[in-house]
Amino acid sequence: MARIGVFTCWCGENVARHVDIEKVTETVAQMPGVRCSINYKYMCSDPGQAQIRDKIQSERLTGLVVASCSPHMHLKTFRKAAQTAGLNPYLVEMANIREHCSWVHHNREEATAKALDLIRMSVEKVKRDHELVPIRVPLTRRALVIGGGVAGIQAALDIADAGHEVALVEREPSIGGKMAGLSETFPTLDCSQCILTPRMVEVGQHPNIKLYTYSEVESVEGYVGNFKITIRQKARYVDMVKCTGCGDCWNSCPIKKNLSEFDCGMGFRKAIYIPFPQAVPARPVIDRLACTRLKRGTGCGLCEKKCQAKAINFADEDKLVVEQAGAVIVATGYKLYNIAKEQDNAQLSGYGEYGYGKYKDVIDALQFERLVSASGPTGGEIKRPSDGKIPQSVVFIKCVGSRDNAKGLAYCSKICCMYTAKHTMLYKHKTPGGEAHVFYMDIRAGGKAYDEFVRRAIEQDGAKYYRGRVSKITEENGKLIVRGADTLAGAPVTIEADMVVLAVAMRPADGVHALAQKLNVGYDEFGFLSESHPKLRPVETNAAGVFICGACHAPKDIPEAVAQASAAAGKTLVMFGREELTREPEIARINEQTCAACYTCVRGCPYTAIERAETLTPKGVHVKYTARVNEGLCMGCGTCVALCPSKSAELEGFTEQQIYSMVESLMT
Amino acid sequence: MNETNRFEPRIIAYVCNWCTYLGADLAGTNRLEYPANVRIIRFPCTGRIDFNLIVKAFEAGADAVLVSGCHPGDCHYTAGNYHARRRWMLFRQLLDTLGIDLNRIHFTWISAAEGRKWAQVVTGITEQTRQMGPYTAYREIARASA
Amino acid sequence: MIVDQLRELCARLLSEGTAQVVIGYGQAAPGKPAYPVFIRRAEDADQLVWNDQCMTNLAATLKRREVKALGKPAVIVKGCDERALIMLAKESQIVRANIYVIGVECNGAGRPAMAKCASCDVHVPRWTDTVIRETESQAAAVRTTPSSARYADLEAFMRKTPEARLAFWRAEFGRCVKCYACRQVCPLCYCERCIADKNRPCVIDTSATPKGNFAWHITRAFHLAARCAGCDECARACPAHIDLRLLNLALAAAAEDHFGWRAGMDPEAEPPAGAYSLKDKEDFIG
Repeated sequence: MARIGVFTCWCGENVARHVDIEKVTETVAQMPGVRCSINYKYMCSDPGQAQIRDKIQSERLTGLVVASCSPHMHLKTFRKAAQTAGLNPYLVEMANIREHCSWVHHNREEATAKALDLIRMSVEKVKRDHELVPIRVPLTRRALVIGGGVAGIQAALDIADAGHEVALVEREPSIGGKMAGLSETFPTLDCSQCILTPRMVEVGQHPNIKLYTYSEVESVEGYVGNFKITIRQKARYVDMVKCTGCGDCWNSCPIKKNLSEFDCGMGFRKAIYIPFPQAVPARPVIDRLACTRLKRGTGCGLCEKKCQAKAINFADEDKLVVEQAGAVIVATGYKLYNIAKEQDNAQLSGYGEYGYGKYKDVIDALQFERLVSASGPTGGEIKRPSDGKIPQSVVFIKCVGSRDNAKGLAYCSKICCMYTAKHTMLYKHKTPGGEAHVFYMDIRAGGKAYDEFVRRAIEQDGAKYYRGRVSKITEENGKLIVRGADTLAGAPVTIEADMVVLAVAMRPADGVHALAQKLNVGYDEFGFLSESHPKLRPVETNAAGVFICGACHAPKDIPEAVAQASAAAGKTLVMFGREELTREPEIARINEQTCAACYTCVRGCPYTAIERAETLTPKGVHVKYTARVNEGLCMGCGTCVALCPSKSAELEGFTEQQIYSMVESLMT
Repeated sequence: MNETNRFEPRIIAYVCNWCTYLGADLAGTNRLEYPANVRIIRFPCTGRIDFNLIVKAFEAGADAVLVSGCHPGDCHYTAGNYHARRRWMLFRQLLDTLGIDLNRIHFTWISAAEGRKWAQVVTGITEQTRQMGPYTAYREIARASA
Repeated sequence: MIVDQLRELCARLLSEGTAQVVIGYGQAAPGKPAYPVFIRRAEDADQLVWNDQCMTNLAATLKRREVKALGKPAVIVKGCDERALIMLAKESQIVRANIYVIGVECNGAGRPAMAKCASCDVHVPRWTDTVIRETESQAAAVRTTPSSARYADLEAFMRKTPEARLAFWRAEFGRCVKCYACRQVCPLCYCERCIADKNRPCVIDTSATPKGNFAWHITRAFHLAARCAGCDECARACPAHIDLRLLNLALAAAAEDHFGWRAGMDPEAEPPAGAYSLKDKEDFIG
């Protein structure tokens, strides 16, 4: 027999003003199954909770209804109170007679009638609640970090320094990401490589970090605390153990004219190469599409002959490795918007009018970084790509692709204002007498010492800023004719430039969607990964145990990416610091006896938490096929319940019986 | 009809916990008064709300039913509301064929920030249902014996 | 003659061991509907018949435990039956490779032909191990019928007022005795425990009252939404002659309208049930 206690709260005057508390208390006492019905000024207060605890024990209550505010406000409070008194916390329901009643209905009679209905429904529901215990989930205290740019490096080092093992997966042959290719960084103008490469070396040498470069995540199984990640190590054709990184191989390689990815196509590399001298690991990789030997299966082999360590292996193949991890951090970074005509997305249309790809001296911002970088293809001398001349006039155009609904990207890429100011400074410092012209929409320089930096570019270094857009770029007699507008002056501007640098939009890196789907992480209309809450859970995702940081989440600069990476590492460490993982037990269950194994739920589950399974006898003989909920993955949305025609799926806390009895309690 | 004798429709609202329930909470926090005819039943997600529940509501004597959840893209569980949307696309067609009054079944997306929308929707449905009168057709079906 | 080919094939499949049972049509009396026969010995192959009384959708027999117990089946299907077979495979109820499918060309079943036959566009099954066609048949395997022909009856019905429609169904369902024949003959009603038989809680009032009958028929129709392969066996089996076809048509029309989907027409297509699209229509959501 149910012995339900109903505790009606005045909430001071908040409920009592419009709901007749005495009438409610008396009427509720007559409801079937109700053992005691009392009211109090503030149920959530200590004396209020004490009354609840006392009644649970003295009346041996089997369920509790607190009629007061929203469960979002105090369900946890009252569950805890029940637990303290020895009642299973999942045998507590709330009737929201404040937000949904007294605060919105001021006719006392109507509000009282509605409060009674709400309580009646809760009483019917709580009678059918089950005792539940939080689900314990084993916890692997290892992390997987995907992406070895500055964010991934930071996250990996933080976790590794805290004493936990980390597997770091990087798609390129070296870690370092975009930052490794930058010249100097705003607003301090310190050399990017000088601050990053020591961190890279730390990663390479850290006893707790296992580095997978030239590797990608193939598949992800499992759930929070227990991920099983299959990693594809792409064939490198170089034995990482034997190789000493001496360089004899790439020095001997005759295939020279391969555009360097690291130099953004501004320089060349061999067919066997390390992307840049400070690469970690400092081990080369053979470009399968460029190498004569690998293309033809015979011939050349110079690198193999030169290699004293016998590290070259032309028969190398992709390998699949499985890693276990309790948490996954995604730090896959960004790519630049392609300003040429071809786009990977029908909504984007490119900037054909700027002639990128047609005019050699129209380049993007990352290419400019390589031109200015001391380690770049020109050794840090700013020479224009077409003829190697030092440009005397450079036009910088901001917001190319960003903040442009017509081209498909409505967002602000955030870092362009700052790096363009930096570019003008670097250019002016290296090219005495050179002119730097900037076309901008707005200057957004929020950040520590950021606005001062932009002012310096304009006031000290003399960059000329025009508020307006460029409509067209043409080439005449070796000059780029840039036609734009200066909207502040209200006049058209035409500049004869030697080079044009486009500050193009940041977009999420290629392949991030496939990865997001493997991890069950959501993404927005632009493909940036979605955080769980924009304010309060900025590095968590809706997939438990998966965190995000860096530019895969949204355009951001280095300090922000690093801060977020440390936050993601911190969240991971909070999880690893727990004795064990527990999950809310209000999840779905499948009645395997009645399940007809149509697997509609398997297809529909937003968390791929339902698996195809087989019921076996104790001796292992097949009985039938069935669907089965993975307790580690189910988040308790109940989509499976509605999809299941035989109602073999049930959701704890919201069972069919509970809902029906609630609806039926409204029948009069 | 005078004020005291007017017909008070019974409205059952099936709402999701994370958007519409919180939207209704916000209406309360902002003290937005609306008619007291609605009875909310809370679900984790609109994805959980089965078509049988709509039938059940009418069997229980509801004059109108409201189903409300998170806007597309906002689902706490990423996709439950999309499943719900597809379900209602088809179910409405069936009810229409049966001659069940579609003006008595309402679907809305109401976010946690849309307290005002909640109050307006409930007010609107209550007024509309009051105009239409009790859903006697289904009450007869539910009450008649063989 | 198709029947000769069927008998010969049946004998061969059984004697070669390709199938342990051939599910086909037998005949009680001339002019009466053919009924399912389960032939397990090659010498019984001549029990098979083929005529315009072969209306039964034999795909429905595959869900039965007693049929599963007979071993690997070979099953005779018409084009419309085959659609159900495809749906069964889509829903993991059968493994196509474990069934030998004998397709037979059909240009109309029933006397007069069943309503579905008028707009049939799958006269020749396509997802079969063998197809037997009428030797003189010149008919194209797939004929396209406009969807207006498929849904003509529905459209006519929908021209009534909602009140008239409800009155119509109250009369129709008023005759329902809850015999569940509609469920038993449906190839896609394969639940181990039908929701109509669930009593904790009781989702559908079990009594044959207007309340229980509405709940049942709404549930039956909607559980087949975007799944019903349109064989109309439920309507044919109904002793009260309730026009169940109309309800099936309504949901088929909705599925075709919204998703371009016709159940069981394409073994490769992903079913809309249990799925969603970001582009799904929501003009009805406020």
